[in-house]
Amino acid sequence: MTAAWRSIFTYNKFAQITARAVRQSLKEEQRIAAEKRGLTAVRYQQWESGQGGAQVVLSEELAAKSS
Amino acid sequence: MLARQSLVRAASRAAVAPGAAPSGARNMATLREIELRLKSSMKMIASTKLAKAQRAMNAGKEYGLANAEVFEHANDKAGTNKLFIVVSSDKGLCGGIHSSVSKATRRALANDAESPLENDKSVDPASPIAVIGDKSKNQLVRTYGANFSMTFNQIGRDIPTFADAAAVADLITKSGVKYDSVVLVYNKFVSAISYAPAAMIVQGEEALKESDAFKAYENEDDATKDLAEFSLANAIYAALVEGHACEQSARRNAMDNASKNATDMIASLQMQYNRGRQAAITNELVDIITGASAL
Repeated sequence: MTAAWRSIFTYNKFAQITARAVRQSLKEEQRIAAEKRGLTAVRYQQWESGQGGAQVVLSEELAAKSS
Repeated sequence: MLARQSLVRAASRAAVAPGAAPSGARNMATLREIELRLKSSMKMIASTKLAKAQRAMNAGKEYGLANAEVFEHANDKAGTNKLFIVVSSDKGLCGGIHSSVSKATRRALANDAESPLENDKSVDPASPIAVIGDKSKNQLVRTYGANFSMTFNQIGRDIPTFADAAAVADLITKSGVKYDSVVLVYNKFVSAISYAPAAMIVQGEEALKESDAFKAYENEDDATKDLAEFSLANAIYAALVEGHACEQSARRNAMDNASKNATDMIASLQMQYNRGRQAAITNELVDIITGASAL
């Protein structure tokens, strides 16, 4: 039986979501140390035949999608 | 903190020297002291940054090695479409880090004799390329811009996290670019003063499925796909941290060399200036003396 999430996102996304849940459930001291490991400020661009598209900040894109 | 203390000391020293003719010289001496303090504290900061980056690299390399073991027994029967991921960063002033990786990618795509892919010379020059880091992106966009599928930046400002690598892997998988294996071009950490470009190969899902050793486990297709995606993130993470450590050490060395060259230049120019000044004074004296003797 395939899990429902497989049709929505990749395994890496799934792992990051579950990791975030685990990090948020830790005790204060360990949580602060772990939060640093979950930070990412990646920006990406799609390219079509030598032309770059708009630069998208990943975390903002996610926030926009969830809102 | 050290710099601020010596600045205060220097200011008080300069204020307590009224009417002293060589006050300019005294200020120069204290300036030198400030420079020395600044340089040694900057060196300390750079060394701690490098030590941190190296620790992260040693930890992250284990992920890459574990990956490599899984794929060691996967054969190369699968197709030969390669996706190149170029691992560099956005900041400069680090010597030849970015150009080393860009040149290695160019050599690989041209199937040059010195390509980082030693055994494989059948690379398609139209292979898709993903670039992490603005510096390499700018270096490659002119010649291989048509091959670009995605570019990433804002990675490498601090030690790269697994979240960065997972985000990159996720976006690459989602973008739907077709590949049979991924070639990661990054800088390998040889020592604190040297690095070399290298290529890490990550097989795709198909290669795992075809491998006889893997078939013995009778995994579901879903699990195989997950493993392929996760091992891509692993490999990207290992390459990112190693590249970051190389960049920190190269930046420290480049800055050291630059300050050494600048100090040497200052010293030689200082000598020239003094000689010139003394020659001018001597000429004036000669003029005065000959004038006086004529009266």
